[in-house]
Amino acid sequence: MGIYKFLLKRVLQGLFVIWGIVTVVFLLRFMTPGDPVSFVAPLDAPPALRAQIAEDLGLNQPLHIQYAEYLIGLVQGDMGYSYISNTDAGSRIFARLPATLELALMATLIAIIISIPLGIISAANRHEPSDYAATSFSLIGISTPNFWLGIMLILVFAETLGVLPSGQQAIGLVGALQMLIFEQNVSGLRAWGAHIILPAITLGTYFTALIMRLTRNGMLEELGKTYIRALRAKGLPETLVRYKHALRNTLIPIITILGLQLGTLIGGAVVTETVFAWPGLGRLVITSVLNRDWPLIQGTLIVIGVGFVVINIVVDSLYAYVNPKVGYE
Amino acid sequence: MAKIGVVLLISILLASIFAPFLALHDPTHQYSGESNNPPIGFGGETETATTEVVDGEVQTTVETVEQSPTMEHPLGTDALGRDMFSRLLFGARTSILVGLTATTLAATAGVVYGLTAGYYGGRIDDGMMRLADIMLAFPSLVLAVTLIGLYGTGSIRIPDPWVGLGLVDGMPESFVFPGTITVVIALVSWVWFARVARGEALSLRDEDYVRAARTAGASDWYLLRKHLLPNCLTPIIVLATVQVAVVILLESALAFLGFSGTQLSWGFDVAQGRDYLATSWWITTLPGMAILLTVVAINLIGDWFRDALDPDISGEEGGTGA
Repeated sequence: MGIYKFLLKRVLQGLFVIWGIVTVVFLLRFMTPGDPVSFVAPLDAPPALRAQIAEDLGLNQPLHIQYAEYLIGLVQGDMGYSYISNTDAGSRIFARLPATLELALMATLIAIIISIPLGIISAANRHEPSDYAATSFSLIGISTPNFWLGIMLILVFAETLGVLPSGQQAIGLVGALQMLIFEQNVSGLRAWGAHIILPAITLGTYFTALIMRLTRNGMLEELGKTYIRALRAKGLPETLVRYKHALRNTLIPIITILGLQLGTLIGGAVVTETVFAWPGLGRLVITSVLNRDWPLIQGTLIVIGVGFVVINIVVDSLYAYVNPKVGYE
Repeated sequence: MAKIGVVLLISILLASIFAPFLALHDPTHQYSGESNNPPIGFGGETETATTEVVDGEVQTTVETVEQSPTMEHPLGTDALGRDMFSRLLFGARTSILVGLTATTLAATAGVVYGLTAGYYGGRIDDGMMRLADIMLAFPSLVLAVTLIGLYGTGSIRIPDPWVGLGLVDGMPESFVFPGTITVVIALVSWVWFARVARGEALSLRDEDYVRAARTAGASDWYLLRKHLLPNCLTPIIVLATVQVAVVILLESALAFLGFSGTQLSWGFDVAQGRDYLATSWWITTLPGMAILLTVVAINLIGDWFRDALDPDISGEEGGTGA
């Protein structure tokens, strides 16, 4: 199968999944007890006002009409109006998105920088102290509740030592970079780093531990294969054997698993943002659920779902591109 | 290492089953005047500031209170004067019960779904797995928060058998089983079981013995039950073990966010202690360590199962962690 046909097929599948997400999210509202009008209208609203609100929100239409209108709106980029703040749901969601993206990217970056070397060291020194230290670290890493880890980091670094702020975003990455470029002022970037470091460690620890485990297991499996023996036999330096050959084959499946674990990363972000009062999507989800602010809940779930689908299509395509054995099937 | 895990987990299981016998106090009783007591070995001073208005001026008096740990409360008390040790014991019940129930539900549903998809293959498989993909695209914690926020916590009160039989006094008569959390966690994690079961079914359905049985006239149901199910159990058991750990983490995260419905949960206690972090670190630290120890114990056992039962699977790590 050629690359275009492969991409077309994956995109069509992705569109189907997105349609499924939108439908589930739409139906969720109708399976929910309680009249949304009650959350918007004042407590003593007369029936006429309530009817007016229902009409404004399009809630008095039959289900299929509401569904069709919702789909048409989404295609045009309209996610409806937030019931509570009476602003455009889409713009509120996208205003919160950068903070979450920055956090997720930093967490992933930390995870990759620490975990892959650790996994390699661990596999190369199997059953030696450094291996035991690394595997113990990863066991504790996948077992630590991240909300608790966040609080412990605050206790140590913010409350006791007082060296780092206890979260709360001081400045966005874009703002910090603008300061750096237009004013040659590094203080913005420094503040950004100081504020993001604890939340990023909190969110990244689980992934550091997970990738380390996968790298170690994968390397052990690869290093035991015959092609490695052949490479060693022909006198290839051990560094090249490990990094050029074994590591490459190990990393490919890890990328796929990470794509599928993206939901876990987002879930972790909800918790981390709550602990550190981080102004991202995660906290928006919590507040909109507590307010039963439907357009916001639906919009956030859809944005996250679409992100998941897109990233997994990219990952699958890379996977097929990197590994000729898989091919575009 | 696995032995440590087994010993730890058995102790935690026993602690959760016999919590009313082991607890020193009713975990919900508030001892007045004994709030924020430190654990044994950690005496100290706390400062409490009181502001009052005297003659139109605001006066702040800072009192230094010497707090000394007592044998009555070996692990201290929380901000409302409740015994931490007893709360930890009862909190284990919630974690273990939700962990086991949600995993059982998810595994059952996922295995049935995955085996069916893999056994029939072709279009049925395609369609069923696409539907499962939709589930994967929802981050489990976000979906859980949404569903619990909308449908309520679905708390089920279960009478405590030991108190009911009159074997212990002064303990709560019942404990809360958070129903919605359990169902929601099962709902968001069955897909991992379905994926594994489907993979197994796909590879098994063309085995000679399955073909032979089919040629001999065995029904689909018979083949699924007698040949496919027993042969896919090994990876399912490995996944289920790891999944219990993931579920416990997810439950505690939901309890931490205030979506649990029970107040006897480790995650809930961590959230409670946050406001007293500077002075009473033990309220947050101890329940967190309880979660950590439990999950480490289960993961140790999971690794052992993985190595012992199925050396081949190192690939797809299941999990819908918090």
